[in-house]
Amino acid sequence: MGSPNIRDLLTAFSPSSEFFAISSGDGRIKIWDTLKGQIQTEFVDIAANDLTDAFMKLDKGHLSVDYTCMKWLDLGKKRKRKHGGSLIVLGTGGGDVLALDVASGELRWRISDCHPGGVTAISFSEKGSRVYTGGADGMICEIDPVTGNSLKRFKTSTKAISSISVSSDGSVLASASAQVKIYSCSDQKKIQKFSGHPGAVRSMIFTNDGKYALSCAAGERYIAVWRVDGSKTHSASCTLSMEHPAVYLDSRCFDNGEEDLKGLYVLALTETGVCYFWFGQNIEELRNSIPAKVSLSIEDSVLKNHHGAPTILAAKLQGIPSRASGHIFMSHGLLVKPLFQKILVHSGKNMNLNSSLDGILLPTGQSLVRAKRGQDVRNKVTALDRANAEDALHPVPTFTDLGETKKPHQYSGIDPDDVIADIVNSRSQAKSLGSEQMRDDDAEVGTSTICLEDQLRSLGFIGQNDGSFDRSAPDPAFFKDINLEANLSNKKIRDAILSMGASDAYNLLRKLLSLWQSRSSNAKLVLPWISRILVIHSDYVLSQEPMTELLYSLGKTAKARGAAIQPLLQLVGRLQLVAAQIDKATHDQTRDSLHERQADESDDEDEDIDHVFYRDEDESGQTSNDTDDE
Amino acid sequence: MIRGGKSYVSSPPAFSNDAKRLLVCTGNTVSVFSTSTGLQMGSLEGHVALVTSVIVVPAPSPAGRILCYCWTASLDGTIRYWDFSTPELMKTVDVRLPIFSMVIPSLLSQQNESSEKASDVFAYISVENIRAQETQPKALRGQVRKCNLTKSSLAGGVTLKETKKPEYITISSSGEFFGILDKQKLHIWKVPEIESERVVLKRIDLHHTKKFTVFAFHPTQRIVAAGDVTGRILIWRGFGKRTFSMGDGQANGRSINFDEDKPGVRGNDDADNCSTWHWHPHEVNCLVFSSDGAYIYSGGREGVLVVWQIDTGKKKFLPRIGSPLLYFVDSPDPSLASISCADNQIHLLKMPAMEMLKSISGIKLPFSPPEAVSSLCSGCIFDQKAGVVALHTENYGIQFYSLFDDHAISEVQVCERNHQPGNEITVVVTQLALSVDGSFMSTVEVRLPEEDIGGLVCLKFWTSDSQDKHFRLLTVIYEPHRDSDISAVAFRPTQLMAVTSSFGGDFKTWVCGNEIQKGEVQNTGWTCYAVGSYKKRPMTAATFSADGSVLAVAAETVITLWDPDRNILVAIIGDAFTPIKTLSFLGQSGYIVSASRGSRPQLSVWSLSKLSKLWSYSLQIEAVTCLGDPSTFAVLALLPKLATESQGMALGGRDGAILAFDVNKPDPMAVWSVRKAEGGALAFLQGSPSRENFTQGKTSRGLLAFVNGDHEYVLFDPYSDEATEHGVAHRKGLVSEETEKYGYSSVYGELQEFNHERNQTAEIIIAPSEKPWATLFSGSSQTLPPLTKLCSAFLESLLEKRTAVVE
Repeated sequence: MGSPNIRDLLTAFSPSSEFFAISSGDGRIKIWDTLKGQIQTEFVDIAANDLTDAFMKLDKGHLSVDYTCMKWLDLGKKRKRKHGGSLIVLGTGGGDVLALDVASGELRWRISDCHPGGVTAISFSEKGSRVYTGGADGMICEIDPVTGNSLKRFKTSTKAISSISVSSDGSVLASASAQVKIYSCSDQKKIQKFSGHPGAVRSMIFTNDGKYALSCAAGERYIAVWRVDGSKTHSASCTLSMEHPAVYLDSRCFDNGEEDLKGLYVLALTETGVCYFWFGQNIEELRNSIPAKVSLSIEDSVLKNHHGAPTILAAKLQGIPSRASGHIFMSHGLLVKPLFQKILVHSGKNMNLNSSLDGILLPTGQSLVRAKRGQDVRNKVTALDRANAEDALHPVPTFTDLGETKKPHQYSGIDPDDVIADIVNSRSQAKSLGSEQMRDDDAEVGTSTICLEDQLRSLGFIGQNDGSFDRSAPDPAFFKDINLEANLSNKKIRDAILSMGASDAYNLLRKLLSLWQSRSSNAKLVLPWISRILVIHSDYVLSQEPMTELLYSLGKTAKARGAAIQPLLQLVGRLQLVAAQIDKATHDQTRDSLHERQADESDDEDEDIDHVFYRDEDESGQTSNDTDDE
Repeated sequence: MIRGGKSYVSSPPAFSNDAKRLLVCTGNTVSVFSTSTGLQMGSLEGHVALVTSVIVVPAPSPAGRILCYCWTASLDGTIRYWDFSTPELMKTVDVRLPIFSMVIPSLLSQQNESSEKASDVFAYISVENIRAQETQPKALRGQVRKCNLTKSSLAGGVTLKETKKPEYITISSSGEFFGILDKQKLHIWKVPEIESERVVLKRIDLHHTKKFTVFAFHPTQRIVAAGDVTGRILIWRGFGKRTFSMGDGQANGRSINFDEDKPGVRGNDDADNCSTWHWHPHEVNCLVFSSDGAYIYSGGREGVLVVWQIDTGKKKFLPRIGSPLLYFVDSPDPSLASISCADNQIHLLKMPAMEMLKSISGIKLPFSPPEAVSSLCSGCIFDQKAGVVALHTENYGIQFYSLFDDHAISEVQVCERNHQPGNEITVVVTQLALSVDGSFMSTVEVRLPEEDIGGLVCLKFWTSDSQDKHFRLLTVIYEPHRDSDISAVAFRPTQLMAVTSSFGGDFKTWVCGNEIQKGEVQNTGWTCYAVGSYKKRPMTAATFSADGSVLAVAAETVITLWDPDRNILVAIIGDAFTPIKTLSFLGQSGYIVSASRGSRPQLSVWSLSKLSKLWSYSLQIEAVTCLGDPSTFAVLALLPKLATESQGMALGGRDGAILAFDVNKPDPMAVWSVRKAEGGALAFLQGSPSRENFTQGKTSRGLLAFVNGDHEYVLFDPYSDEATEHGVAHRKGLVSEETEKYGYSSVYGELQEFNHERNQTAEIIIAPSEKPWATLFSGSSQTLPPLTKLCSAFLESLLEKRTAVVE
């Protein structure tokens, strides 16, 4: 079905936004309670239930009624009724006009054959004292909403009327087919005429001060703003463009009153279910303003192609809380289960709403599984027993993760006291260094070589804060099935990664990267894993890239380390030279070890990087070793 | 001014003749609901007190079904006649006695005598005799009287029966008999054929050993059924044959003793036989014969509707209604009936399948928690931005109710267990807190120990999405403070942090851990962040300041201020007499208001910058809220019992007052007196109803919401004059009452201020009083301050008085 289309949908909010009426073309009208998000009433078969009209009973059920337009009218407070004044006025393709009393669920009145050829538009002023209907016969009919009596009829066009609108004070009426004509309500005289729309106008409204009329035609990708002043200008004073034709318009205009709210606010809903919101202090500013777009993001690619995908069904400008922003009350989701939400939109800032999959029938397969997993994550409940406060130390410096708070002793953060003690120890008796290293060895089971960096770290020479990433300790749960320290063969690594899910592998990749960056693990051990993950799960990693920029940081790290190869090689060469000289001089056996080292470095350049980065220490260490040897 | 939150189940509703509308007594008004949609269509407004009866005038013929007339009776002592299709008052009859129940027999029997239009319409009303109030407590205050509605007068001198309290009158559907219950007796009167003002009504009595709760007449036969407190239903057949068929007077019929076999009938009661059915485990609340007389519908506290076949006694059930049944009302349409439940819901039933078609549900009514935990329970909580109140419900849940729309939004089941209406409550949700944006909720539930075993306190954190307002559980913490109970829960306005304080002498702050997964932030759960205590004293209240920088925890009588991030005790303020119950910061200004209850209730305002008390009152405070302006606040105070009694009538049953204060002045800016203040709540709602947005230009600063003990509420703008209807009139009276009662403090200000180290002589309140000397030395000597202190204060008070006079 492709992109969603809400063109054929009839929607109406009640004036107080308490209820929402929707009719999707099957002759049923559903009233939703927007507070509870539940269906309140359903109107089926209204025409057939109408006992006064004998021949209508011959029709077969609701499917024979074809509604063409719907408006929600509040008769207001003059009768001091809270709900009783709520009417839904409907026009049918057969030319009848119906009014439903929402509270009692009954037909209030009906005018049969008001507009032969079909009712096309309904409008009324804010006070709700008169209802106007326009029809395919080019006539406009004025109706008393309380009694349902037709008061006046007059012809405005030889063609079919496609849209009408009454200004909020009820004095001016606009009727449109392709040409927009403005009439005075009291004497039905034509005041003004605007032409420019090539096709039939689909939606048209007056701003609430009645100074401007906004209209958009079927198939047109812009809204025309016309100035209603009785002058002879026939062209639009400004146009607002969109990506798709609009089906619904709303506007608010503050001319006087508070200075900071002053301006013109326009809301439009396109037939693809995207909301546009413009703001301009005056008409010139409005013309150049950039709209805020509100759309529904659909995560699941399967759903996009699915019939009846969730979209924005209806929207309404509810209030202006501050300058250049608006409260939009909207209904979005699926036809079977719309959701209601009030959102705050700022001019020029696009918004994405999350869609919910409530009430949708998912196509079976992977998406269902994924959705289920998502559900599980959502429903996860943590339970703590009475030992809940054991870890709560007064000022805990790094208190970020739940997993850590449960197991505070998993922090591998080095206790400053310990470090100081170590340093003192190492100074007082250099020999004990070996035993220290032994202890480190014990801590890192299976590490065959003693990394100089680790040694330095344990002595506190390397600061704790040089890693840009969160230096959280490796989560043991993550590595429980992967023994990083074990020098696995490439094949085994590949198997292990293949067995992992994409997201798990991605998380592992993140952890590995932070390990590598923070040098808490040997690069030689980490890099094979990283490369394997990148090879096998490249798709998923790429899809996550925009959000996390993991690859970017990976690349940056690799580059930084790679840049150090050249000086390192030089250093190696020099060392070799020195070693050769020493060798020559002393005929010692050290050459072997150096050759080994060299071989290592050429094998795995990343291995070098570790040494290079701290080459100052490295060098000094080496040289001091050398001098010692000498 | 928006009112709402009315009880729909204070009296039985009534169906209109076409059964398309349901008339429900809602407080001072009668609301008309549509039975097909369950929405309110209109209301009859005019009564000034609770409406107790509504009677729809039955249609004499099928054509007259569209007639929409009804009689209503109210506690304000009037009977009114309405056309409810276009809500219009047609007639008012003033009886001047509070009417608790009314029946109009002639309406029901009018079918056959509709030709005689001249006859007056008489109503039988159950009234409370207010004149009997002043005499001894055993006075019979309830009276059944007769009223001529056509002539708008009480039938002179006719009092059918006097009872201890006003009873509910039941009438048979033919209008032939009516009766009342009086403890273990049933009084039935026969309506005379020709009604006149002074006709003597015949009466029979039926006796039982248990207290009756409800009874009903058979529509055609002489059968009466009555339910009692133990759940039994007694059915008398052929009642009143002797008395009512005899042409002679009552006394004559009484003396004759027929020597026939009357199975089950007690003593000399006038009935053929009596049978008993027993199914209900608890008292029977509603009992109705079906319109054809073949069935009896009964319901009680256990929330099951039982249908009895009269001839065989066979039963059918509609279980799982979930709340005690109060009333069952049959409609003129045989396929529709309604049941009213104690949880403020009216269910429309499709008969005879007994299928629920629609429910009309209102705000959940308050319930009384068990004694053991009632002191722990907090009142309702407001979401001040959205205008939503969250209330505890009896079935271990939370109801969210929109104050602007007078409409329930959703319910959250805090505890996963079924609620059986009849059972004893074992779990109580005691505390409730909402974060400022309304996305997090925290609840505390207490499982009551059975024989001192199995008590459990449980803290839960909930979260909701912005789209659907349904809360889901995030974290459960069992026994967050070991065994001790939690006294308060509060959220920090700026961050995801909450605090719980316990009577066990410590408070804990909780934080929510976030985890980024698939690019979106997910809350993983709440964990304890820090623990604090102060001298091991019980912590009785806790709150965060509006900017979240200060945490205030009341350690019984002192307020301790903490830095919530580093968990460092910053300062300690002052001393109250009794443990502080409520703490609240006043917006961004550096003031904190504390309220304590108990033997020496107190409302105090403290300055955080000076760490000292500004002023205080001896008032029993129910709720405190900060008004939109940072330096003003409003409190809901209970008037002292003594004062309400002495002023009784003048206050018109109002037992509380809302006082608006400016921090800098102890004189209240405004006073509104209210009813049923006990258990009430107060909040300042920042938003405004959505429909107000249409009338742009008029920006309201917010509304003050007051929810009373019965969960009725009113929203008003505290800054406009509209709401000050009562306030001004009672203002003087209130303040002077205060001073008369607390003689010392009226002269010397708060005694405690003298004990305070800091110099605040300028801030001592001197409330003006007419005769301070009368009560000056009437206290016991040990409570008087030392003479040295007394003297200076006394002189000072004189000086203050002098200046006041000059002003």
